[in-house]
Amino acid sequence: MHHLVRRALSVAIAAGLLAAPAATALAQAPAPAQGKVTFTVGIQSDVDSTNPFTGIVVEAYESYALMYDYLVSSKPEDVSPMPSLAESYQEAPDKKSWTYKIRAGVKWSDGQPLTARDAAYTYNRVIKGDFEQTNYGNYVTNIERAEATDDTTLVLYVKKPTPIMERLAIPILPEHIWKDIDGTEVKSFANEPENGQPIVGSGPFRLVERRKGQFLRFEANKEYWRGAPKIDELVFRVFLNADAEAQALTRGEIDFAYDLQSNVYESLKNKPGITTRSSQYPGFNEIAFNNGAALADGTPIGDGHPALKDKQVRLAISQAIDRDVLVERVLQGHGSPADTFIPPMYPALHLDPATKQTFDPAKANQILDAAGYPKGADGVRAKDGKKLELRLFVREGAESEATGEFVKTWLKDIGIEVNVKVMSEDALTEIIGQGEYDMFEWGWVVEPDPDYQMSVFTCGKRSYKDGDSIFADLSDSFYCNPEYDKLYEQQAGETDPAKRAELAKRMQQMVYDDAAYAMTYYYNDMVAYRSDKWTGFVPQPAPDGSLLFQYGIHSYLTIEPVKATSPAAAAAAEDGGMSPALIAVVVGGLAVVAVAGVLVARRRRTADADERE
Amino acid sequence: MATATVSSPDPGPVKTPFLTGTRGYVIRKISWSLGTLLFVLVFNFFLFRLLPGDPIGLYSRGRNMAPEQLVKLRAQLNRPVGAQFLEYLSNPFASTINSVRFNRPVWELVGERVWPTVLLVGTSILIASVAGVWLGIRSGWRRGGTFDRWTTGTTNTLYAMPEFWVGMVLLIALPFFPSGGISTPGVTGLLDTILDTAWHMVLPVTALAIVYLAEYTSIMRASLVDELRQDYLQLARAKGLREDLVRRRHAVPNALLPTMTLIFLNLGFVIGGAITVETVYSWPGLGLLSYEALRGPDIPLLQAVFLLFSIGVVVFTLFADLLYAVLDPRVSSQ
Repeated sequence: MHHLVRRALSVAIAAGLLAAPAATALAQAPAPAQGKVTFTVGIQSDVDSTNPFTGIVVEAYESYALMYDYLVSSKPEDVSPMPSLAESYQEAPDKKSWTYKIRAGVKWSDGQPLTARDAAYTYNRVIKGDFEQTNYGNYVTNIERAEATDDTTLVLYVKKPTPIMERLAIPILPEHIWKDIDGTEVKSFANEPENGQPIVGSGPFRLVERRKGQFLRFEANKEYWRGAPKIDELVFRVFLNADAEAQALTRGEIDFAYDLQSNVYESLKNKPGITTRSSQYPGFNEIAFNNGAALADGTPIGDGHPALKDKQVRLAISQAIDRDVLVERVLQGHGSPADTFIPPMYPALHLDPATKQTFDPAKANQILDAAGYPKGADGVRAKDGKKLELRLFVREGAESEATGEFVKTWLKDIGIEVNVKVMSEDALTEIIGQGEYDMFEWGWVVEPDPDYQMSVFTCGKRSYKDGDSIFADLSDSFYCNPEYDKLYEQQAGETDPAKRAELAKRMQQMVYDDAAYAMTYYYNDMVAYRSDKWTGFVPQPAPDGSLLFQYGIHSYLTIEPVKATSPAAAAAAEDGGMSPALIAVVVGGLAVVAVAGVLVARRRRTADADERE
Repeated sequence: MATATVSSPDPGPVKTPFLTGTRGYVIRKISWSLGTLLFVLVFNFFLFRLLPGDPIGLYSRGRNMAPEQLVKLRAQLNRPVGAQFLEYLSNPFASTINSVRFNRPVWELVGERVWPTVLLVGTSILIASVAGVWLGIRSGWRRGGTFDRWTTGTTNTLYAMPEFWVGMVLLIALPFFPSGGISTPGVTGLLDTILDTAWHMVLPVTALAIVYLAEYTSIMRASLVDELRQDYLQLARAKGLREDLVRRRHAVPNALLPTMTLIFLNLGFVIGGAITVETVYSWPGLGLLSYEALRGPDIPLLQAVFLLFSIGVVVFTLFADLLYAVLDPRVSSQ
């Protein structure tokens, strides 16, 4: 045998030795649970807590929506309010209370009946609670108390009229379980299955198994009042590595991959049996300006560039940004150019401005000339001896950093010098609260009820002082406009949806005209799933919206296998085998190792020979 | 000799110095370790209070929290440093403030992450050290031979590859193994659970073992090569011992010392986990927990995790020191 071949072979044997434990284990691969229809969703951050008072990530809220019922929900077609556990609801003529008719005959998973008393208990617990306010405090600031007048009637008394009553997203908890968990215990209460006992809930699924950092397993509630789910089990499986998640989807280990980065998304395109989907999502990104940082009482703080207090400068910058390029190059087309702060996913509320701040460097230059910022010899504009040199803080991550570089180039063309600095989101949060920035790149996800998002632009949400320290509130632009605040107060008490939408549109127009932000894009939510095996998804909103992780549980009730196959056939279908590309990668990898090994060995032999001589 | 004895002054009663000999050695080592631990404990407390960041701001971000709630939370963190330090010293693991990110007691979080990490890294080190020592002995004894050349070549190449890359290649190359996690949902029963866990361990353990292997092989090989020229081996051969007896009884025990140090040092780091491999295989271990804690920063959690890491390293270094005294009596007699 040629010695090179022999060496290559020995390398291969060494590799084989390392895989030996693999081979023994191979013979004992565990069989999946038989006969059950299981739908597995890959997620990239674990549910941080299954206690609805504690969790914060979107995956956690999804688990609450699976386990519990809510008074109201959001329609799949257009995300507008729809009755849920409350089959109907009505504001009292005196506008001092709302009455919810609770569905009769609903049962908790332990057989106890679910009544309006459970709902009243849950709401009162949040209203009077301390820790319980953490996740839901904003929903109940206007609610005085909750009362169950009989088993099917819940009355919520309000301090003043408020439209949020149609959007109350607090999961209704079983009083007979939660009354034993007091205000202290609730803080560390895990709400996880113990000794094989599932969590008591009323939702379409019940949590039966939880392994932190690994998976959550839910069992369908076949008695669910909206109809039995067509699957028997639902599993959320955590992946910390997006490539591994994509592998798992191609192999059929999982059926749905949620929240994909665009490179992984592209790698899954055109794979047999897999459908990739870029869905409309209620999130936007922006370049936020320091509109003049101050505390809520008006005391100036921070070190923002004074020119940014000038609306004309902000408008010019907004018109120097080419949003189509950002969508194409930063999002790879998975989004659309943005203008106002309520995304078009909410058609009833979104304002499509009549005149848009489109990309027009000539116009931007013109605005700055007219506003009194002439260009200096070095091409940088200045006013009163202060140059237009602005800091732009972007967040770690390809998308934010790329946006920063584009903006820097575009602003150079209109005589503004930009210094881009990359930092962590945590560091940036701190800096924003102190008002120590000129511009930064970030975004928001807008809830179906726009109140929270609209409050971001009110004077009262600017930073505040506690002792000697300044703390951030919601405002990240320090926009403050008394007229806007007036409209905000007005909409907060407007319970007629049409009138409120009108106010919301006027508020968006105001913020848009004042260019508090230069909005960049609305981005999509990217997922991939096994369309060869599953069907029956309900998009929200129709037809381009998300398939899972919606407002309300819709798809989980209707997802079903493509056609009824015997378990054996399904198993056969899952066994995809290796694709030619994969084999190429593997062989390539082994070849690299082998060649490198041989080369090193040869070198060593030569060296040894030298030493001996 | 006799004259010398007579002329020397009376040495007085013979004292056994307390801190010499084996007992002294042990006591010295243990007190050093305790001192180090105490230093780490104090240092950690102040280190994390120097970190910038607003933990409450971080906690409230994305929650529908009422402003009064925030003020209350802030008040908790604004207690005097002295009071906080006393509380911290009293029991660093039962910190009354929960982990900021997870909202649960830190020791509970750490506790559930320890075993996956010990299982993963411990098994890998065990496999890698047994295989590495064996390969090192084989190749060192026949230095420059074919076996030596390809072993060294292969292990060096494997050592040069980044862990995450080895992990990804294995993941893609061996599609019949699970792509991550420790267990399959819905598997019950003791035997099934053990088999299921072993099944999930194959890839991550292989990936880690590959990377550790080269270290043990090359250290073992190098220290054996050092022994090859020693006179006592010639003597052993001269006594008429067979070659493999010379190796097993004389060369290897002496050459093992540096490798033992390395193994114990690595065991100390076991607890720190293997962040990259844990990430590739979604293995919920301590490495990932510390990474998540650092992103906050989740100060209570960071304190517990750092303390645990320090304890791991200090305890295993102590073990290595004590074991040295057993393996090589010269160490404690100095």
